[in-house]
Amino acid sequence: MTYLLNRLFSIVLTLWLISVITFAVTSILPGDVAMMILGTQSNPTALAGLREQLGLNDPLVAQYGRWIGGMLTGNFGHSLVFKEPIADLMAQKMKASALIVVMSMAIALICAVPLGVWAAVHRKKWQDTVSSSAALFGISLPDFFWGIVLILLFARTLGWFPSSGFTDPSVDFLGAIRHAFLPSLALGLGLMAHLTRVTRSTMTGILNQEFIRVARAKGLSEKSVVWSYGLRNAVGPIMTVAGLQVGYLFGSIIVVETLFNYTGMGWITYQALLNRDVPLIQTSVFFIAAVVMLTNFVVDLLYLLVDPRIRMQ
Amino acid sequence: MTGATAMHPAEGHPIIKVSGLRVEFQTDDGMVAGVKDVSFEIQPGETLCVVGESGSGKSVTSLSILRLIEFGGGRIAGGSLEFARGSGEVIDLAKAEPDVMQSIRGNEIGMIFQEPMTSLNPVFTIERQLTDGLKRHRGLTGEDARGRALELLKEVRIPEPERRLTQYPHELSGGMRQRIVIAMAMACRPRLLIADEPTTALDVTIQAEILGLIDRLKRENGMAVLFITHDMAVVAQMADRVVVMYRGDVVEEGPVRDIFEQPREAYTKALLAAVPKLGEMRDKPAPEPMRILGDETLRSAAPPPTIGTRREPLLTVKNLTTRFPVKGGLMRRTVANVHAVEDVSFQLAKGETLSLVGESGCGKSTCGRSILRLVEADSGEIQLDGWNVRGLSRLDLRHARRDMQMVFQDPFASLNPYRRLLDQVAEPLVNFGLASGSELHDRVAHLFDRVELPRSFLRRFPHELSGGQRQRVAIARALAPNPKLIVADESVSALDVSVQAQVLNLLMELQADLGLSFLFISHDMAVVERVSHNVAVMYLGRIVEIGPRAAVFENPRHAYTRSLLDAVPIADPARRRPHDDRSFRPLSSPIFPVGAPVEPSSYDEVAPGHFVLRPLAAA
Repeated sequence: MTYLLNRLFSIVLTLWLISVITFAVTSILPGDVAMMILGTQSNPTALAGLREQLGLNDPLVAQYGRWIGGMLTGNFGHSLVFKEPIADLMAQKMKASALIVVMSMAIALICAVPLGVWAAVHRKKWQDTVSSSAALFGISLPDFFWGIVLILLFARTLGWFPSSGFTDPSVDFLGAIRHAFLPSLALGLGLMAHLTRVTRSTMTGILNQEFIRVARAKGLSEKSVVWSYGLRNAVGPIMTVAGLQVGYLFGSIIVVETLFNYTGMGWITYQALLNRDVPLIQTSVFFIAAVVMLTNFVVDLLYLLVDPRIRMQ
Repeated sequence: MTGATAMHPAEGHPIIKVSGLRVEFQTDDGMVAGVKDVSFEIQPGETLCVVGESGSGKSVTSLSILRLIEFGGGRIAGGSLEFARGSGEVIDLAKAEPDVMQSIRGNEIGMIFQEPMTSLNPVFTIERQLTDGLKRHRGLTGEDARGRALELLKEVRIPEPERRLTQYPHELSGGMRQRIVIAMAMACRPRLLIADEPTTALDVTIQAEILGLIDRLKRENGMAVLFITHDMAVVAQMADRVVVMYRGDVVEEGPVRDIFEQPREAYTKALLAAVPKLGEMRDKPAPEPMRILGDETLRSAAPPPTIGTRREPLLTVKNLTTRFPVKGGLMRRTVANVHAVEDVSFQLAKGETLSLVGESGCGKSTCGRSILRLVEADSGEIQLDGWNVRGLSRLDLRHARRDMQMVFQDPFASLNPYRRLLDQVAEPLVNFGLASGSELHDRVAHLFDRVELPRSFLRRFPHELSGGQRQRVAIARALAPNPKLIVADESVSALDVSVQAQVLNLLMELQADLGLSFLFISHDMAVVERVSHNVAVMYLGRIVEIGPRAAVFENPRHAYTRSLLDAVPIADPARRRPHDDRSFRPLSSPIFPVGAPVEPSSYDEVAPGHFVLRPLAAA
């Protein structure tokens, strides 16, 4: 219990720090919101008036206070580029991005775990070499490269999946999956390579443990020795790495969503950065950070379930 | 093809008959034979001990019988493993199909491994681990399996068996875990039990319990036991017959009495000679070198007797207390303290050895480290030859460390694998600015001579050396700055007995020549009896008894000292301890809440220099 409180406390602290940093950094950027709204060639008097109206002349602390107060009450302000309430934008785009993050993670895990276990069981044999080389290949190439390859192969040549666009899953679920598939696969390939290596090294360590030998000495079949006695011990470490990769995924979606013209968090953050949409930048960065942190918190909670040793402390 | 199974009645057939076993391993340098030509048999109700030093192939032999050797990269290259199954058929395990082996493992042959801390799966409950064998081999389900698991726990005499079923391994002590591992091996009433160093990782009192347990289960079930060990004392206590192995071959085989009383082979004789026997130092005034066969001269290295000579104190420790905080709660406050060392006082004279003995967790290592200030003590006084060690500044401490050096337990971990031995031994000399250039090289070369390592080793790396050689390097390194005190923390525990004897003799020789004082930290009572002038017995952070070696060993006055001495197996089959399978004793804990009242240690002097801790009111 104290463990959970500890974690929650540190999450709140980190979120607060992130809010301060994003606010500070976006405030330092040259050009302010008033100029973004009225344009660089606008009348200085109108500009000053708008600045006064928006409270840009107030001390930074007061501006921060207003912003964070808005965030806490669900009033995120308006996007300058999209002319929409940021809250609505966030809800939509988060849904879109969550779809590809979850799908890419699922693709990665479904392939990586069996491949990693397979390599660990046949360590130092050809199966291991195959799996390790494939993983190295996947890790060495950046996501956007996979994106281009996938577009060329599945969209252009085979025509199985659309190469760009987004469909709302609540409107057309299958269509949403079809649109999300290629970006998810592009992200998932790099992720899979990484998770394969983690699974392999974790399982290699576990399969050398004495309790595995004890399990064999009990006459259990190789299937249950590896997939039950062994893998059950690897779940925690694999999950932890997967959780940390969610942060990496949210970084990668900026490139991949833009490449596939998939309108999610990555795409909108990129648009906000391009157009100096300061309120949108602040909020989306804050949201991404919050989601990444919550994911890792959930992973830690799951860890309590899979590893009884941690429950004790 | 069923050529592997020869059907003939098992009447009178030994449970297992190993003939001409050869096991090979594929390595980078080609095939290496782990076991060359091993033959033996075990009758029902018989305990056969296979004894040998590391690399003798004893574990390879036991793993081959279960055909687990294949999972470690080995291959049975020759010979047969005839096993009499419960059905009466005799089968050659060396040629059995994998699924046949699975039906035998854990069913007709059970196995216990060395390390109880790692033998159990950390993420499964005890119930699951006890029942999966039963479910597989006996087809039991749910309640039946659970009931049988409970019976097994009672059979191995674990307190509160119902509660244990729902617990996880990390919630249990080492002794309890080993009982669970034994219960697992016994689950299906095996005809053959293989125990591979089952007590090596355990404290001596728990070892006595586990040995008693294995012996009782054997008698009750009439099974055959194959007992693998490196410890001649355990062999003397357990075996009906003994197989001595050396480098993959059987050197000698025979009834236990014959092996101990009339060993035929030179290797067996040397092995037995190197084993210290508790009690053999009776009526001897001073430590004596270990016997090493073929080295009858003993180099007249016996340390000079101290009786009559003036004893000058080198190290005086007064009321030393070291506690480790246990943190908890939201703000990571200290919620309790581990009283690792509690009000410990003693004196160590120049040129003498004081041993700190006790079981794991008694605080003996922390005590040694506190004296060197590798761990900071909470209170107390440490005087080392004029230095007030606890009051020293960082700089002065550095100088004082010239006078006190340490030799650690694990020579594999205490040397840097990436540096040449020359540089590692030279390091203290360089650090203290004691030598440089060609003088440095000469001094290191002399140190190598001193610890009897060839100078050609100077340019080598640690992995090119054996365990004993590495420990010599560690000793050379400790000797480099000409220290007055060496703290030897389990320095020979990881070594094979013949190597252990050589290293102990080296230490004693160095003591005689250089007038060194040793604080010898060990759990091995027989070794301690051999090397010490004085002995302090530690329990739960306190010294419970301290005095001259003869007084403590021949006239132990504290109940804990007695139980410790009682539990030590003696390397003499004529002096077998009754295997009474002592009932389980829970260990007291050295963890106390913050601010708990702590009594000072007060002692009765029962004889000159022989002190016994007065009972504590709280205990």
